[in-house]
Amino acid sequence: MKSKRDEVIGGCILFLFGGITAVLSLKMPIGDFRAAGTGLFPLMLGILLMVLSGLFIAQRLQDRTVPGAMDTGAQAPVSVKQLAMFLGVTVFAVAGFTTMGFPLMSFLLMLLLLRSLGIKGWAFLLSVSLLTAASSYALFVYLLKIPLPKGLVGI
Amino acid sequence: MLESLQLLFEGFAVATTTVNLSYCLVGAIVGTLVGILPGLGPIAGIALLVPVTFGLNPTTALIMLAGIYYGSMYGGSTTSILLNVPGETASVITCIDGYQMAQKGKAGAALALCAIGSFIAGTLAIMGLVFLAPPLAEAALAFGPAEYFSLMVCGFVVLSNVTGTSLLKSLMMAVVGLIIGTVGLDPVTGDARFAFDTAYLLGGIEFVAVAIGLFGIGEILSNVERPQELLRQQVIVPRLKDLYPTLQDLRRASGAILRGAGIGFGVGLVPGPAPVIATYASYLVEKRTSRHPEEFGKGAVEGVAGPEAANNAACQAAFIPLFVLGIPFAPPTAILLGALLIHGVMPGPMMISERPEVFWGVIASMYIGNFILLLLNLPFVPLFANILRIPKRILLPLVMLFCITGMYTVNNSIPDIWVMLLFGVIGYAMRKWAYEGAPLLLALVLGPKLEVAFRQALMISHGDFGVFFDRPISLTFLVATFLFLFFPLLRGAIRKWRAQKAPR
Repeated sequence: MKSKRDEVIGGCILFLFGGITAVLSLKMPIGDFRAAGTGLFPLMLGILLMVLSGLFIAQRLQDRTVPGAMDTGAQAPVSVKQLAMFLGVTVFAVAGFTTMGFPLMSFLLMLLLLRSLGIKGWAFLLSVSLLTAASSYALFVYLLKIPLPKGLVGI
Repeated sequence: MLESLQLLFEGFAVATTTVNLSYCLVGAIVGTLVGILPGLGPIAGIALLVPVTFGLNPTTALIMLAGIYYGSMYGGSTTSILLNVPGETASVITCIDGYQMAQKGKAGAALALCAIGSFIAGTLAIMGLVFLAPPLAEAALAFGPAEYFSLMVCGFVVLSNVTGTSLLKSLMMAVVGLIIGTVGLDPVTGDARFAFDTAYLLGGIEFVAVAIGLFGIGEILSNVERPQELLRQQVIVPRLKDLYPTLQDLRRASGAILRGAGIGFGVGLVPGPAPVIATYASYLVEKRTSRHPEEFGKGAVEGVAGPEAANNAACQAAFIPLFVLGIPFAPPTAILLGALLIHGVMPGPMMISERPEVFWGVIASMYIGNFILLLLNLPFVPLFANILRIPKRILLPLVMLFCITGMYTVNNSIPDIWVMLLFGVIGYAMRKWAYEGAPLLLALVLGPKLEVAFRQALMISHGDFGVFFDRPISLTFLVATFLFLFFPLLRGAIRKWRAQKAPR
């Protein structure tokens, strides 16, 4: 993102975050500098963030060019669909972690993530996913003795 | 000095037990892999392995985690040389001449010089650590809340100044990190803050989740959105018999290694991403002092040996502020601080006297770890290079699975995984908008300490801000902060003035 508009939007988000922090801090005891209340430090931070982001926005609005921002568009074509699929599969796996249990979750996660990244051939997909699930189970549960959700599989 | 040596020998007795040696080896191997693998830098790597250390005693745990940190410095150079892709940010400079050496059929020699340079510099830096840490710890006893506050503020400003492309952006990230650090219980009164009546938020935001999210998941997502970069890359795999640099290479590299060690050690003591700055500084020094500056960028031996030595020395020196002051100056050492606290070890001026087995045991293990890494990196380089043949399309799902499982194991908590994913998306957005994650993470870890120091200092002075300016050490840090804040502005103004004065 290289445009001035994007930089200003980024600054505005941070300004808003600082503002929300300051407002929420005011609902807590503030005290004074000798005996600071719970809300004083976050209030100061919220105001500081608003000042910094305000300066940033002003600076960006004055600048004719924006240095340093990454131009991802020029670097490589971006596949939003692939990113969304990858994230969607991850969210699905985490949501079902406790219910499915670790062995099933890790198997499905690997299978679907590999598929979302364009790997074809079910035999390859199934064998890599199965091998990963089995070896990670052996590592975490047997070797490191870490208790992981058992879920539907029950192991 | 003699006392330090005697204590170091006692440290060797701790470090050479079978258990500690084994975990030192594990740390060195994992660190090398972390440095090599894309999508997993030292920050996410150390954070992921913290839960694995829960069953270990503090010394063993820190030996392994420290091994991952300096091991990743060795591993990072492998991808730079063989693929022209830095494994982590401290290896960016090595790409310039390292990849050129590989193109000329000298990949083996370049890798060997990296390993030898890192070993020598790492060992020299540990010597510095042995002799410098005890007197510094004594000096640090004079630090009160005001000094700690000023030092931390100085650290944030220096880090913000040297990371990223915009000081304002990095400073904003540091403030965001401090705000996130206020979530949970007030460290002084114990009252709830920003918890929104949820039990989960009362414990604060898990810093491991933020670290893995920003630096691990964010990197994975950035890779996933670029389909053609996931395709298999051409890797140059050196043969074992090629791993011998010529005598001329060694002669040229020796000066660069020693200079790199000195630069790296000095830079490692001050706030900032020391290994990264050290490599740039070393490269510039080598280029300026070289008799053949024209060779730089085309495969100069000094351009590889110097920066690699510098990043390793900086990495070891960064342990001094962590151990002596209890203040990490960079994200990897911030994660190590978190690990120390989890294990009940409070780093600071008293650590050397109160927990000598941890302090000297870890230092002694660094000598051993450097030796292991030298042995590991020379003969096994072809093996590590073969790992790079695994396509990213397979590696990224593996890293994601490891992140999710590793995150769960920290507190056996699913909400921690959601927080990690949330910060992953934030980290991805930050990459796109060119915001740095390092100031945010460091501020998150140091936030509660900063707040306590600030409030204690003002409590002692009855609310008088003069306490930060009356005490000489605190004033020195604040002056340094001021200079670092306004130096870029001043430099810009001077350049403008010179440009106006220059004859047209």
